[in-house]
Amino acid sequence: MSSKPSAEIQLTIDGTNISVPAGTTIFDAARLNGIAIPTLCHQQNENPVGVCRVCVVDVGQRVYAASCIRQAEPGMNVKTCSEPVQAARHTLIELLMSDHPSPCARQQHSGDCELERLAAAAGVREARFPKRSTRRGKDDSSAVIAVDHESCILCDRCIRGCDDIRHNWVLARRGKGYQAGIAFDTNLPMAESSCVSCGECMVSCPTGALTNKRVVGTELGQGDVLDPTELLHLPIFQNVSGTFLELNQKAVVKRHYRAGEIICREGEFGSTAFYILEGKAEVFLASPMAHVETAGTSQGFFRKLKSMLSPREQHRRSEESDRPFIPIDASVDLPYDRPIAELNPGDLFGEMTCMSYYPRSATVRAKTDCVMLEMLRNVLDILQRNKTFRAQLERNYRARALDSHLRGVPIFSSLTKDFIDHLRDRVELVRFSPGQVICRQGDVADSFYLVRIGFVKVSEERPGGELILAYLARGGYFGEIALLSGSPRTATCTALDHVEVVRIARTDFELMLERFPDVRGKLESIAHERVAENRRRTTQLQTLPVDQFLANGLMEAQSLLVLDLERCTRCDQCVHACADAHDGVSRLVREGLRFDKYLVATSCRQCRDPLCMVGCPVGSIRRRNSLEVIIEDWCIGCGLCANNCPYGNINLHPFPVELDDPAHPGRKIASTRVKATSCDLCHDHAEPSCVYACPHDAAHRVNPPEFFAGLLKQSSVAKG
Amino acid sequence: MAILAVAVASYIPYSLRSPQGPRGGSVPGLIYGSVGFSFMLFAGLLGFRKKFPIWRIGRAQTWMRGHLWLGFLAFPLILLHGGFHFGGLLTRVLMWLFILVFTSGLLGAALQHFMPRLHTAQLPMETIYEQIDRVRGQLVEEAQQIVEECCAALEGDVSSATERQRAAAASAGASWDVTVASGMQVDEQASTELRGVLSTEIRPYLEKTGGHGVRIKDAPVAAALFRQLRVLLPSTLHSNIDDLENICEEKRQLDKQSRLHKILHGWLLVHVPVSYALLLLGAWHAVVALRF
Repeated sequence: MSSKPSAEIQLTIDGTNISVPAGTTIFDAARLNGIAIPTLCHQQNENPVGVCRVCVVDVGQRVYAASCIRQAEPGMNVKTCSEPVQAARHTLIELLMSDHPSPCARQQHSGDCELERLAAAAGVREARFPKRSTRRGKDDSSAVIAVDHESCILCDRCIRGCDDIRHNWVLARRGKGYQAGIAFDTNLPMAESSCVSCGECMVSCPTGALTNKRVVGTELGQGDVLDPTELLHLPIFQNVSGTFLELNQKAVVKRHYRAGEIICREGEFGSTAFYILEGKAEVFLASPMAHVETAGTSQGFFRKLKSMLSPREQHRRSEESDRPFIPIDASVDLPYDRPIAELNPGDLFGEMTCMSYYPRSATVRAKTDCVMLEMLRNVLDILQRNKTFRAQLERNYRARALDSHLRGVPIFSSLTKDFIDHLRDRVELVRFSPGQVICRQGDVADSFYLVRIGFVKVSEERPGGELILAYLARGGYFGEIALLSGSPRTATCTALDHVEVVRIARTDFELMLERFPDVRGKLESIAHERVAENRRRTTQLQTLPVDQFLANGLMEAQSLLVLDLERCTRCDQCVHACADAHDGVSRLVREGLRFDKYLVATSCRQCRDPLCMVGCPVGSIRRRNSLEVIIEDWCIGCGLCANNCPYGNINLHPFPVELDDPAHPGRKIASTRVKATSCDLCHDHAEPSCVYACPHDAAHRVNPPEFFAGLLKQSSVAKG
Repeated sequence: MAILAVAVASYIPYSLRSPQGPRGGSVPGLIYGSVGFSFMLFAGLLGFRKKFPIWRIGRAQTWMRGHLWLGFLAFPLILLHGGFHFGGLLTRVLMWLFILVFTSGLLGAALQHFMPRLHTAQLPMETIYEQIDRVRGQLVEEAQQIVEECCAALEGDVSSATERQRAAAASAGASWDVTVASGMQVDEQASTELRGVLSTEIRPYLEKTGGHGVRIKDAPVAAALFRQLRVLLPSTLHSNIDDLENICEEKRQLDKQSRLHKILHGWLLVHVPVSYALLLLGAWHAVVALRF
């Protein structure tokens, strides 16, 4: 990942002077300037290999060059459609067609065999060359994919799709000469191979060599189903394979919404994304902007506790967040003080929900009559790989969201408008698949990253394995420690799901630090805190070498509620007390993991691996520097954190609220909204209610390393 | 213990000096009775204290200790109060009720002291008692799902593949039906056998509390049955059989937990109502004795 901006070079293509960054291929240079060069083996989302040679161009040298792999050079004069070039291309197509069973299966089904389309455009009808005499055969073993080796033109698109895109490593080349073809594993029948039938090869194939058998399709219910021809007329579907669209016809539907109609609601689980074709929509949070505060209502012996919703202006907790923007699953962020924004034609929302099945992060309502495309993950996945669509999304992001996204991070709040404008065209949006490493421990630091979509795991490689340091959600950032200190990367950052990061190159990062000393100061202070925290964890790891203790994640806890199971009579007084203290909603479940004779009951344990934070669609759950979990005011109550917490330490607390009555504008209706809460240790009392109410001296709030010190010592001695 | 010692020490001269023997209506007898009854009242207030667990009126543990010790002391004091005589009908009833409360209390204290250890040692998969029926319902569903999943694979039926199989396919980045289909080894005979075992053995066992009359209630019988199933089914489905066996084991533990829980808390069914009756009749006795 080089951070240095590429130098521009000048060249001429078909008489047009153009300028492109050094390293650009001739094919891309032509495409960027609206000049189409035909190709078969090259796809935008795959690395070029230059095997079909259909994209040959004249670069003024002894032989024609395959434009997909040949890099543009300064002063190069390229001819893409001169008569000799076209003649050469014509011959190549004739040669390919001589071995191609025309019409192939794909041409028969959907009429979009790329080779036959090229041949028709080039006027190739009768092949001058004899057909191949040896037969390569068919493989009909798979339940859904038909393999016709006769139609294969050895473009390798399927192999690159399988290996480079899906990382399945099933497809490869086999044989030599006329026997050359594609093979599954060690040339096994497809059904017997390790193929997972993801369909990437089928979608990549330009001919009828790999086609769908139509067993079962994935479908979206209702809505106007568009046929592939209609979809291909939409700009965002340009360059998408017709076969793919045909196979996934019902995976994208057109929907019409009247002004005021709700399109999706916050907290709902979904699996689709929306793309606005016409009209405007407003995106907002219907949940009250407040957190749960538990306080005493009176003084004395009979003091009662009551839970209530308090906005941060009324009740400031320690280390309260000052974030001015709420991150949501759309191209815009919502201001904290007025959480509402507008979405326009060309905007996409629901990307995280669609790709990673997270709950909807906000409610979207049609502001005017709207037309939208609703799509499933397979369609969005293909669109995301389409450079035209990506370019449009990036344009929207740079123009509308980069500003608020950067300012949403408190340390960048002082950046001036002119500097953000400077960054606007220089930052790079980079996507990562689940499990892909964004930067690796020990690498040279060349960039600073800001998370736009998804969740990033920050971990350190230790001799005994991986030590997870943090999870970062949208608005999180990383990479500053190495850039500030000039040392190699101190941790490895890995995409947990479909992640998109804003990459700021080292030069721009350094310029930012130079121009804004306060940003430098804040970054340095945060970097110090992070380094100290990492060191603390490492030290703890070294001093508490007890496997079970570590395996249970107890090492990380600062305060645990433990029940001595040899004293506990399972009377549930602790649970009743907790419920009484929190308006009938217990934050304690008398279940959990056991360590020795103790049950580690619920209440936040500040895990080393805080899974609760992964997936929050609005990034409202975070750690304080003291490691306690804090739930921000903009929690939408979707419950994902509660589901994700393996120990059941997060609860959903219902509160009565008044909402707008959709049937009678201007009027309110009584409703309830839930907010996520975790154990607050009954802050208003000297002792948590659960401990106070235990009649058998079984419940204790403890500091684990101190409380379990005896056990740990015994265990260490026994091991020694 | 000091209170008991003082009471006994003062009782000896009192009983020796009383011409008609110790009586409840004498001054010392009334003192023993009042103190004993107040101890009983305090012990009875534990139930009230538990109704309001967050009231800061002393830790529940202190109340429990008071309940145990004062409740224990009340019995000898009441015996001293009555001069070890059971008296008339009302006092006789009272004394027998008290004996019942006292012995059930002692039994309860002993059970609550020892049973939690047994619980902890024998029930590694313990759940919340009130949730046992629900967990059992979930186990039935899980077993049903596992069997359906196996049968779908054995019958080559792609359309009835479960969410779990879909998820596995999706995580491989595949169209789920295809991956499921590719993993199938058709054997309809084995599928019928498996369904039979579910309907005649596993389901009845999981649905019934205790599982009376079902063979796999016994762990060795269940182990033999699952061994047999592993022989019948292809090795790719053995992990599913392991899951089924674990489900049955969990049910066995739930039954055991249910039994132990009833023992641990069952004595309260006697202790609590009899205690209330004792307090009411005791109060009635006090009023009648003092007034008439």
